[in-house]
Amino acid sequence: MDYPEPIAQLIESYMKLPGIGAKTATRLAFYTIDMDGDDVTGFAKSLISAKRDLHFCSICGNITEDDPCVICADKTRDQSTILVVEEPKDIMSMESMREYHGLYHVLHGVLSPIEGKGPEDINITSLVKRLQEHDEVKEVIVATNATPEGEATAMYLSRLIKPAGIKVTRLAHGLSVGSDIDYADEVTLLKAVEGRTEI
Amino acid sequence: MYLESLHLKNFRNYDALDVTFNQGVNVLLGENAQGKTNLLEAIYVLALTRSHRTANDRDLINWQADAALISGRVHKQNTTTPLELTFSKKGKKARVNHLEQARLSAYIGNLNVILFAPEDLELVKGSPSVRRHFIDQEFGQMSPKYLYNAGQYRTILRQRNNYLRQLQRKQAKDLVYLGVLSDQLAAFGAELVAARINFLAQLEQWAKDVHQVISQEREELAFSYVNQVKATAETTVDEIYQSYQEQFERQQHKEIEQGTTLIGPHRDDLHFLVNGKNVQTFGSQGQQRTTALSVKLAEIDLMKAITGEYPVLLLDDVLSELDDARQTHLLRSIQDKVQTFLTTTSLSGIARKLINDPTVFDITSGKLAPESSANESDAAE
Ligand SMILES: Nc1ncnc2c1ncn2[C@@H]1O[C@H](COP(=O)(O)OP(=O)(O)OP(=O)(O)O)[C@@H](O)[C@H]1O
Ligand SMILES: [Mg+2]
Repeated sequence: MDYPEPIAQLIESYMKLPGIGAKTATRLAFYTIDMDGDDVTGFAKSLISAKRDLHFCSICGNITEDDPCVICADKTRDQSTILVVEEPKDIMSMESMREYHGLYHVLHGVLSPIEGKGPEDINITSLVKRLQEHDEVKEVIVATNATPEGEATAMYLSRLIKPAGIKVTRLAHGLSVGSDIDYADEVTLLKAVEGRTEI
Repeated sequence: MYLESLHLKNFRNYDALDVTFNQGVNVLLGENAQGKTNLLEAIYVLALTRSHRTANDRDLINWQADAALISGRVHKQNTTTPLELTFSKKGKKARVNHLEQARLSAYIGNLNVILFAPEDLELVKGSPSVRRHFIDQEFGQMSPKYLYNAGQYRTILRQRNNYLRQLQRKQAKDLVYLGVLSDQLAAFGAELVAARINFLAQLEQWAKDVHQVISQEREELAFSYVNQVKATAETTVDEIYQSYQEQFERQQHKEIEQGTTLIGPHRDDLHFLVNGKNVQTFGSQGQQRTTALSVKLAEIDLMKAITGEYPVLLLDDVLSELDDARQTHLLRSIQDKVQTFLTTTSLSGIARKLINDPTVFDITSGKLAPESSANESDAAE
């Protein structure tokens, strides 16, 4: 027997979310039917508002209600450094640290030909343009992940930007603070040993 | 190290098994299709969490059951560690000392095994990819750094091949990005080549000795690692990296034209030379077999040198493939050193005489019975 049309459509919608297959989608759809009417309306409204009221900042690519975003609009922030991240959520992590006061740039991904992402497909052109227009920027910190793709993206940016006389730096990787050496996996240890500093 | 005992539940054709092993030689004797290889496989899986003859874990579960269990007690340096693996439709769980391990890498390494099965002849007779796979597999088991570098190399190679194909079809044009990928590949490739040469030099020493013994000093085995940058034991990682960089520059046109990576350790090969001649092309069947066996047995010593412990040796159908003299020397070289499990359909007179106090198990349809005749023949001497 086929599911009634509205259920079938809901299942199909859930399946568009990452990591959700037919089984989970079906479970979620039936759960939704049993939910309180107000909750369902609230849910639908948040979905629409997230899409309608949020935009990408035209300067840094962060998600924002206003353009430019609060960080780009804040002239008290250090205008001489830009920290480059893969995703908007990475800005949230950096900001919760409260120690970085410069600007950001969101790539929306990393270079990965397998996933169809070449240099034109992520937010690199706008970064280069930004650097050309703002010669007060002295340092670009690349904070992409320590994956082969994240490293390649960092190296690529460095090759583009360095010739313009701008300093390019990379976040250090190593042991997480307070973690016990016993529990660190071998590769983290390896990287920590390679990246050791003199004291 | 040695395996004190093994417990199986619904593994292949064993519905239930509880057995204690000899620290020396354990002979698994039985007719065809009774479960000899299955038992070796169980020990192999207990060590490495996956089988040597199937990629599908479900094949390991008895056809009549939904889940399988392998557990065993591993003895090393006066301590005994219980290991346990369960396989079900939901996947596998690995426990060390009854504690579930989230990462398989934390489980693997508690029991080290070396398996020699008839398929291993491919190591000598097969294509270069068989030998590269062997190198990556075995060295990865011994060195986490090698395992990491090999994994990174594979990922970058896939990305680079994909990008070269896009360049070939003119769907992409950024040569700066290609340069970055070449640079990354050269860096990880150089690490791999240097590590391979270093590990292979050690393995070659042991293999030479083993081969000499098994062939009664008639044959001299040597390795030759064939690579595109003429790297030897004296070449530094940095020099290899530079050579790869130069080659990538020189061959850029050709690589784009063909849409694939033409340079790097994924194109290398390992040649085995017996008395100076490549045994793949010039060796007899017996010489090829002996070579494959020597290389595998050499791993015993390499593993001891690197991890500090002898592994457990699993020999599947090896005796029947060697002549009497080679059998004799093989058995002499492993006796009293490593715990050994060997399967055979019949125990020849020589083997029976040669092996000191073996425990012989008779295997019939997934059941084990200790054989008494081995003790009788001991008593007769
Ligand atoms: N998942 C399974 N469940 C039940 N039986 C199985 C399963 N997988 C394999 N078998 C059976 O196990 C039997 C024994 O296999 P095994 O490879 O151990 O034989 P062997 O004793 O090594 O024989 P040979 O001397 O021919 O190498 C086979 O006949 C096969 O049908
Ligand atoms: Mg068999």
